[in-house]
Amino acid sequence: MNNGIFVVVLASAVAYGTPLLYAALGELLAERSGVLNLGVEGMMLVGAAMGFWAVQKIGGPSGLVLPLAVGVAALAGALLALVHAFLVITLRASQIVSGLALTIFAGALGLSSYLGNDLKLADVPANHAFHAANLFGLQDIPVVGPVVFGQTWLVYVSWLCVVLVALYLSRTRPGLNVRAVGESPQAADAMGIDVVAYRYAHTLAGGAFAGVGGACFSLAITPQWTNDLTGGAGWIAIALVIFAFWRPDLCLVGAYFFGAFQALPFQLQARGILTQVPPEVFSALPYVMTVVVLVLVSSGIAKRRLGAPGSLGIPYVREER
Amino acid sequence: MSVRIERRLRQPRWLSVVVPLGSVAFAFVTIAIVLAATGHNPAHTFAKLFQSAFTDSGALSATLVSATPLAFTGLAAAAAFRMNLFNIGAEGQLYFGVIGAIAIAVVLGDGVAKPVTIAAMCVAGAAAGAAWAAIPGVLRAFARTNEIITSLMLNYVAALVLNYLIFDSHSYWRDTTSPSAAVFPQGKAIPDAATWPFATIGGIAGGIAVPLGLGIAAVVGTALWVLYKHTRFGFELQVIADSPRAARYAGMRTRRKILAVMCISGAIAGLGGAAQVGNFDHLLDPRSLQQQLFGYSGIVVAALARYNPFAVVVIAVLLGGLKNAGFALQGVDFPSGLVGVMQGIFLFSVLGGEILVRYRVRLFRPGRVSRTEPAA
Amino acid sequence: MACRGITKRFPGVLANDRVDFDAIEGEVHALLGENGAGKSTLSNILTGLYRADEGELEIHGQPVAFHSPRDALDAGICMVHQHFRLVEPFTVAENVILGDHRDVGRSFRIDPRAIERRVAELGQRYGLAIDPRARIWQLSVGEQQRVEILKALYREARVLILDEPTAVLTPQEASELFVTLRAMAAEGRTVIFISHKLHEVMAVADRVTVLRRGCSIATVPVGETSSRALAALMVGRELEGSKPHQRQTVGDVVLSVEGLWADGDRGVAAVKDVSLEVRGGEIVGIAGVAGNGQRELAETITGLRSASDGVVRVDGVALRNGDPRAAIHARVAHIPEDRLHTGVAPSLSIASNVVLKSYREDAHSRGPMLRLRAIGDRATRLIKQFDVHTSGPHVPARQLSGGNLQKVVIGREFMGTPRVVIAAAPTRGLDVGAIESVHAYLRDASELNVAVLLISEDLDEILALADRIVVLYEGHIAGEVDADVATVEEIGLLMAGGHAG
Repeated sequence: MNNGIFVVVLASAVAYGTPLLYAALGELLAERSGVLNLGVEGMMLVGAAMGFWAVQKIGGPSGLVLPLAVGVAALAGALLALVHAFLVITLRASQIVSGLALTIFAGALGLSSYLGNDLKLADVPANHAFHAANLFGLQDIPVVGPVVFGQTWLVYVSWLCVVLVALYLSRTRPGLNVRAVGESPQAADAMGIDVVAYRYAHTLAGGAFAGVGGACFSLAITPQWTNDLTGGAGWIAIALVIFAFWRPDLCLVGAYFFGAFQALPFQLQARGILTQVPPEVFSALPYVMTVVVLVLVSSGIAKRRLGAPGSLGIPYVREER
Repeated sequence: MSVRIERRLRQPRWLSVVVPLGSVAFAFVTIAIVLAATGHNPAHTFAKLFQSAFTDSGALSATLVSATPLAFTGLAAAAAFRMNLFNIGAEGQLYFGVIGAIAIAVVLGDGVAKPVTIAAMCVAGAAAGAAWAAIPGVLRAFARTNEIITSLMLNYVAALVLNYLIFDSHSYWRDTTSPSAAVFPQGKAIPDAATWPFATIGGIAGGIAVPLGLGIAAVVGTALWVLYKHTRFGFELQVIADSPRAARYAGMRTRRKILAVMCISGAIAGLGGAAQVGNFDHLLDPRSLQQQLFGYSGIVVAALARYNPFAVVVIAVLLGGLKNAGFALQGVDFPSGLVGVMQGIFLFSVLGGEILVRYRVRLFRPGRVSRTEPAA
Repeated sequence: MACRGITKRFPGVLANDRVDFDAIEGEVHALLGENGAGKSTLSNILTGLYRADEGELEIHGQPVAFHSPRDALDAGICMVHQHFRLVEPFTVAENVILGDHRDVGRSFRIDPRAIERRVAELGQRYGLAIDPRARIWQLSVGEQQRVEILKALYREARVLILDEPTAVLTPQEASELFVTLRAMAAEGRTVIFISHKLHEVMAVADRVTVLRRGCSIATVPVGETSSRALAALMVGRELEGSKPHQRQTVGDVVLSVEGLWADGDRGVAAVKDVSLEVRGGEIVGIAGVAGNGQRELAETITGLRSASDGVVRVDGVALRNGDPRAAIHARVAHIPEDRLHTGVAPSLSIASNVVLKSYREDAHSRGPMLRLRAIGDRATRLIKQFDVHTSGPHVPARQLSGGNLQKVVIGREFMGTPRVVIAAAPTRGLDVGAIESVHAYLRDASELNVAVLLISEDLDEILALADRIVVLYEGHIAGEVDADVATVEEIGLLMAGGHAG
């Protein structure tokens, strides 16, 4: 039963969905403050590289090294986000072009590959990696065991993050303020909210989350460093934010949904099920679904009601005349 | 003292020359710092870079090879971005151009005159690219769906289509006869009549081989410039880009124009795919196409050229040189990934420099009090 | 609160030039000046949004320096902007507490219930009843203004600045607002009331400071002055009484609108069963409080918005619904409300904007190609004929001042020899000189037997120009009056949805 395809796909949907979830939560925070960051893929890759570097360099027990490595990955992501923040918030550059520049700068042909080579990360086994935690020793109960209790700590922390981000946005003053900054920076500014500081802070937080998302690959899923190991997860994360109508809880659902489609082709092939359907069809489904959902949500009035921040992508300039 | 940023009333012409040059200089300094910090000798690397991009024997020819697809994807991006249509699907549109061009070349075979085959490949490649771009185009024009995400998602779908055609099916594009194809799946080669020529310039060390594709890119660039500056269509595009409301007020059919621009952009990218096949690849090779990231690099080219079609061709040659040198030098002299890092830093600098063209940065001393008698 | 020698420069403009004024506790102090006199800039300096280049602010005799709106808020200064600073998807309560950090330690968490209760109490106390759970976009403009005032009361503001608060209100709503303001002043708060309307200043203020061209001209108690004297101070010369309106000999019906319905941006009907006729040589005014369907009506007539029912005819021929090109071909000129983003493409040159509608004609293009020289000539002619102050036809439209920009729009529309002119808020934000020339162009058009539909929130303007006045209320026609005999009170009643008695 535990090895039934349903359970395996579900369990790996959670595993594959987790990096998407982290990255999407980060992008959600940035976008809620009005900053679109298309550099997620690049930030994830550098996060993955730096996280992997940390587990190779830092000595000590896994329980200490791994959290530190995640911290290093988060820091790396945040530093890259700082470049984007400076360009688009302070220098008012186009958010779209700057985000793409960030992906090219940091992505598979850029900094992440440079770091991978310079720090000699490729083709070496990980000194430490996240393993299934077997929470409360419940991993062996049917279905729920492997899906819910047999995941890594990164998964459990991501659940905590979803709850925290959701509460932050809906139930705290800074959360209210950041939503105001994203919707109407003029109104927020007039009420004494520091628009620039809020945008910087959330763009950086977004980068940190993306870095952690990248580390999920190099510290848990692979766990190894290979060039371009995220394989476009950053872009899916950006789509996921729209897919989830800018809501953290729906990000979780969407991430696992997308994760399932990533896991499905392997499992089907391994079991010889549905072999007449090319595996590419399943691999393409998340992308096609995103397009379909996007079309459904972008009809004018629905758009406002579903939560796209009103000032997303628009620089705020106070003394504009 | 504090810094204040003010919008410029007038943008002097010299600024739009000086600022980008200054940005590039700034970028070089930054890259030198990065190199030095990671234990490479910047001067040595730059010199090597320049040699293997332009001055070594055969280097310039190789650079032009790298530059050709970048010129097309750069023009594709420039055509759309100018209109505030962020088509980042040149990647997938180029793939479809490859598929279309190979299909027609294989169909025509060796029996048809070369110019006819080449023309047919151009048309097929452009049509396939335009068709793929029409999907986000229609969605944007008629359902107001954000074209950034849709065109991007379709890149992944297009990549999967390539994989399917070669690795997971016995499609028309797959070579099933040759002995090497039995070992590893590979694409069907196009007939000799469908290979594109090179023009040789100069006689020193074999001369410089200019691919036909680059010539076509230059023609396309000129055509784009005329289209935007001198035609009614271009005028409408300018108005729509600047203010969609004003365009509607003036009775312009904005939806059709949006779709048209997306298709033009896709057609140029598809043409790039045809050129890549005709001039260089000669068969469908999914791995190689996907690794090169022609479409995304095209966005860099277009942004650095500030969406000017002529500048796109020039920048494509410069970045082609960088890329070519990256291949030639990979190893100790030239860390892998440096190409992307350098492109990124160039882009950041030029983007950041833009503010100096649009705004004036003034130092400002607060708190100076001047008391004057109240006016009567 | 006092200002000493406040100077503020924007690139190319001196917005405030050594402005001095002081306001005391418990008074309603008016800042009076025409558009462009520097009132809004000054208030933005008072609230920390802009920083003055020179001069200083004092509160209770202590100099203060505001680096951001937060400093001003902490000093007890709140402002109600002309364009509200509200977050539309938020509830009333969320807007009211937004940015309040006085009790941040205790209430990091937000309890929506408690906040809603407090906001409701506050509203009751000041007679500003409003549902704290309503979303801003569900509220009428008048209600949104109440939210802005609630924000100030919630923060216990000592100084409340209101920028042109009556522009969005009916005369009756305005007098209710005045009662609230007087009550706030009676509690010892300072109310600074910014306006360019003399009678409002006379009605509500204790003292008035007159601004002209960025300078403070004088501060006088309202009791010791007259409308006429203030007007002279404001404009810098004696105002000529408005010219007696000359009735044109009207011709045949040119524009006819029958049973028109159209949806607004939110998908609810904004124009409801509107029927009207405009004859050649006639100016018909559309009066109403902002947001009662005027913009939607203008857009529907000119094809920018699709009608859900009804028909628009020009010279008896029905226009294709929702097609701006049909209106252009029928020679319906449109001076849009939003002149910077609808009337022109702001980054393009004056020349491009001059041919915005006529670039398809043979004079300006040959086949698919543009005739750039002919276009340049046309622009040069317009610049001369309509006296546009600019260095040439290649200057981007956004660099023109409001008045010159409007001249380009009007010039373009009038050079197309129109049959109908739809003018929406054609003088909003312009200075007196520009207003006079816009009015002259509209009168000239009617003398040429053109049918003019003038949509304006400025009753004085409508009374001065129109032959007949149609009042819109919530999208339908509340009534029609003859401009020669109508009174402000009568129209005001119609604007509020009452019936003419």
